[in-house]
Amino acid sequence: MDLSSYLLVGAVLFVAGVVCMATKRNGIGVLMGVELVLNGANINFVAFANYTKLGLDGQVISLFVIVMAAAEAAVALAIALSFYNNHLTIDVDQANQLQG
Amino acid sequence: MTGHQFLFWVFAAVTCGGAIAVVLTQNVVRMAFWLIVSLGASAGLFFLLNADFVGTAQLLVYVGGTLVLLVFGVMLTASGPFSKMQTRPGELFLAGIVAFLLLGLLGSSVCSVDWDRVVASTNAGQPITTHHALNQGYNRPEEGNTGHPLGMAFLGMRPDRDLAPGTKTLSTGYLLPFEIASVHLLVVLIGAAYLARAKRRIHPNES
Amino acid sequence: MDPQTVQIGLTLKWLLTIAWLLPLLGFVVELIGGGWVWGRYSKNAAYLSVICIVTGFICSFTALMTWGNGTNWSALKDHGAAHGDAHGATPAHTEAGAHGAAKPAAAAHGHDDHAKPDAHAAKDGAAKKDDHAKHDDHAKPATVAAPAAGEHAVVEAHHHKDPKVVFTGLFYRLAQFGSLDISLSYYIDSLTLVMFTMVTFIASCIHIFAIGYMSEELTDNYADHQVHTSHGHLHRPGRFHRFFSFLSLFCFSMLGLVLAGNIFQVFIFWELVGVCSYFLIGFYTERKSASNAANKAFIMNRVGDFGFLIGLMIVWTWFGNFQFGDLPADGHTQPGLFSMVRGNDGQMKLHVPESGKAEVVFKNQDNHIQTKPNGEQRTIPYWLLVAAGLGVFGGCIGKSAQFPLQTWLPDAMEGPTPVSALVHSATMVAAGVYLVGRFYPMFTPEVLLVIAYIGAITLFLAATIAVVATDIKKVLAYSTISQLGYMMLGLGLGGWAAGLFHLITHAFFKSLMFLASGSVIYGCHHVQEMPQMGGLRRKMPLTAYTMLVGVIAIAGLAIPYVTLPGGDPIAFSGYHSKDAIVATALTYMKLNGHYLLFFLPLAGAGITAFYMFRLWFYTFAGEPRDKEVYEHAHESPWVMVGPLVVLSFFAAFCAFGGESGILFKLLLDSEPSSVAGGYVAQTEYLGQGLLNLKLPSHGAIHANHAQAGTLALIMAFVGAGCAYLVYGVRWVNAAEIKAQFSGIHQFLINKWGFDEFYDMLFVRPTHVVAGWCSAIDRVIFDGFLHSTAKAAIKVSDWDRKFDETIVDGAVNTVGIWTFAIGRSLSVVQTGRMRNYVMFIAVGLLSIFALLIMFFPN
Repeated sequence: MDLSSYLLVGAVLFVAGVVCMATKRNGIGVLMGVELVLNGANINFVAFANYTKLGLDGQVISLFVIVMAAAEAAVALAIALSFYNNHLTIDVDQANQLQG
Repeated sequence: MTGHQFLFWVFAAVTCGGAIAVVLTQNVVRMAFWLIVSLGASAGLFFLLNADFVGTAQLLVYVGGTLVLLVFGVMLTASGPFSKMQTRPGELFLAGIVAFLLLGLLGSSVCSVDWDRVVASTNAGQPITTHHALNQGYNRPEEGNTGHPLGMAFLGMRPDRDLAPGTKTLSTGYLLPFEIASVHLLVVLIGAAYLARAKRRIHPNES
Repeated sequence: MDPQTVQIGLTLKWLLTIAWLLPLLGFVVELIGGGWVWGRYSKNAAYLSVICIVTGFICSFTALMTWGNGTNWSALKDHGAAHGDAHGATPAHTEAGAHGAAKPAAAAHGHDDHAKPDAHAAKDGAAKKDDHAKHDDHAKPATVAAPAAGEHAVVEAHHHKDPKVVFTGLFYRLAQFGSLDISLSYYIDSLTLVMFTMVTFIASCIHIFAIGYMSEELTDNYADHQVHTSHGHLHRPGRFHRFFSFLSLFCFSMLGLVLAGNIFQVFIFWELVGVCSYFLIGFYTERKSASNAANKAFIMNRVGDFGFLIGLMIVWTWFGNFQFGDLPADGHTQPGLFSMVRGNDGQMKLHVPESGKAEVVFKNQDNHIQTKPNGEQRTIPYWLLVAAGLGVFGGCIGKSAQFPLQTWLPDAMEGPTPVSALVHSATMVAAGVYLVGRFYPMFTPEVLLVIAYIGAITLFLAATIAVVATDIKKVLAYSTISQLGYMMLGLGLGGWAAGLFHLITHAFFKSLMFLASGSVIYGCHHVQEMPQMGGLRRKMPLTAYTMLVGVIAIAGLAIPYVTLPGGDPIAFSGYHSKDAIVATALTYMKLNGHYLLFFLPLAGAGITAFYMFRLWFYTFAGEPRDKEVYEHAHESPWVMVGPLVVLSFFAAFCAFGGESGILFKLLLDSEPSSVAGGYVAQTEYLGQGLLNLKLPSHGAIHANHAQAGTLALIMAFVGAGCAYLVYGVRWVNAAEIKAQFSGIHQFLINKWGFDEFYDMLFVRPTHVVAGWCSAIDRVIFDGFLHSTAKAAIKVSDWDRKFDETIVDGAVNTVGIWTFAIGRSLSVVQTGRMRNYVMFIAVGLLSIFALLIMFFPN
């Protein structure tokens, strides 16, 4: 298989993640969208690592991304919980205090 | 069709399908399930890309950790009967158009690049042969081809680079980012715990 | 000069300075203390004023006594003899020969220091040519610069009598311009001393009288019945202290004028006197008539002062000196004006250069001719000297209310009566006569002739108007003008001492009559019209009979054919002084012609007697005309009647002895040497446009005295008799006479039409010109200004519109747009995270779309 196949898979994951973020009213769903986007990026990194001179560095970056994603998930979940505690809902549309 | 190709298609299909299913599903628990499926399949893709350590980490951290965390989140926030949080159809439609356009854009970008020329000197498409992979710092598959080099890299050494013929200088590793990431995780742990601690506004006697 | 004389000069200086400055002190204290410290019910201001002026009188009188003792009363002892001898020693007047035939030799040889001839004719000869060693010390110019304090005295060289002493010196030098200086100085001779004594004495009486007269002002709520406001009479706080402070300032100004040692200082105090009269005439300032009268007095005086200023400028330019007397300066003696013009022999030295215009040569105090550094004589053109004299006399015309500026004085009756008394006797109008007397050596015969004519016209004109006046104060006012005319006439005719003699005597009886009329007005509750009076002597006898003394004095009545042992007739003061003037006039007429100058005063004497007795009969005799006024009339309190009695004594006897009396001799001692023996124009210069005028000598006057006195007495008796017939026994009905001569009567009521004439000649043209000016102002200047202003308004209107529409509009539009854009963009800021994600995606797509669109490769 060539590089572009993997890149396409990454693109699909990315787009799915974006759409997920843009449409889900559930905060957890939005978090899942983020995971998808990050995962799409990871696939790209690893694919480049394998097919180009990037080499091992690509895998290192993807590892960092995974760690970051875990951290992000933890913090985001804490935020979601806090939000839920305050609003008694997880609907992100309720969080519109920044409305202009 | 080689085994590699076959496996790719299977993993790719599952990965993409899972992702799409996450988008289309309205139930958050099912979304979590499809996400697990998608991420797990992508771990398979990592293995196909000779990134066994990354794939393992994907399975352990994502599927085993993060997703569990998410599921916990779902359970903690969805107390009581699920309230309907329907997205408006207009939004869905718009999102669909954007999605297709974005996908088209990315896809056309990927396809329009002549990757052969870009990665001319790489081992594109080639299975990892011993001599080549060794030169690149990969171990033999039976030794776990990336585990050791990655560990060395995180400790600040790059045998995959520096052991190449003709190399006269030492490359830098990822010790400092690694340490920073570890401290970062600690901070995140504390911060998350702080944020998520229970502080309900509604007093028990009110409810 | 011996130290004793210097000591006398110092004493006189300080005594008179104290008398001069005390009223100023009173003024200042009253100004500060009057309203605030003492309050409106306090008489302290009056007491302070009285104390100041009485102390001033004591100082003045002491000064007179000091002077007299210092000169061993030579003025009194010698003058009779000098008088008698004077004409004998005057070669110009042969008719006097018999009188003093035996004396010329004695005079020329100077055997008798006391029976001395006049210095005039014999002086130079005796001193310089005959070289009588015995008299050398007298012949020498006895001028010694005193060592200390600028003290200086000029001893005029009367060879055979004790020298006439003038004390003069500096108080303070105000400014110095090269050789010219302006200073405060003093000039003390017997005239100064007599004036000081007279002014302070009369002012004291008037001050005391005013305490009673002004007592109505001692209130917080004085009702002025002559001012009508929208709600009845005007009510205002009383101004008792203000009146007295002005009175004090008035006295200070007058005394300063008398003491002044230079013509500029005279001018300063001259103006101060004018200002004070302005304040006091306009004392009832709410009355329109009073403020108008004050303005009129002030403006009329300005007209005269214009002449004064011209005279001052001529003096300043040509003489470079304002001092009357000689002053020591930088080790030498700076000759004063009198010395420069007259030298010490009283004669002007004329010089006719080749250009043909006569010039007057300046002399030193020792009669030497002054020269410039280049050796030329210092001179002044004769006509300029005439002009300077006329200019200064112009000031006197204004101040002394002479024709043609006489109209302010009757109006000045608007002031309170004590002010009228002060103005008419001792201060304001006396200043003019005094200045003519003081400045006498500077006057050329031509100027003197003008003075005489002005005086004659004035005295006749005012006397005729006084005949028809019915306001008691107006009658007195016109009589004042008339008497001032007499004084001017006397001075102009060469009767220097006679004119000033009349000034002094007139001051006494006129102040007496004014105070008496004030007493009448006070007793009748401010009724001034004589037709409402009559028979008042029964109600206020003291006032009536003291007034009668004044009336007899001014009318010049005497008991005919009965004389005192000294040969003088039994008469009150006015007789003597007026007699002296009429005698001078007669002599002058005999010498020079000019018949009017004799017949006008002669007629005036009769008219004076007529209108004065008319006043007295009208007011005090017969039956009351207005019962109501009569019923309420009462005698004034003693504080007012007391001064009347004192003044009546002096009005009767101050001139006791006539021309051999004390007062006349005192004055005569100061007589400028130029007139002492009769001034003779220098006939060799008559071709230069000079008038051939001879001033009468004392001897000549004396020769005509009996004749003139008889004529004047006859006229006075005729006048008094007519008055008695018409107003006393009412034998002739005055109304019938009035009806018969209604034209003349109306003419006189209109004051010879002077007010109308001035109105037509000056006021209306001024109004017309002012109207033009104001029209020009309104039409052209205002028009220009208004159109400029309007244009400015228009421009700023446009500017405003520009600002509002374009500038503001632009700013507002930008603001509105910005706001609208922001408002519309804020819709995008939904605050929803999901939307932002979508925007990012859309934005990403848009960027790529644009990239692809513009960079296809």
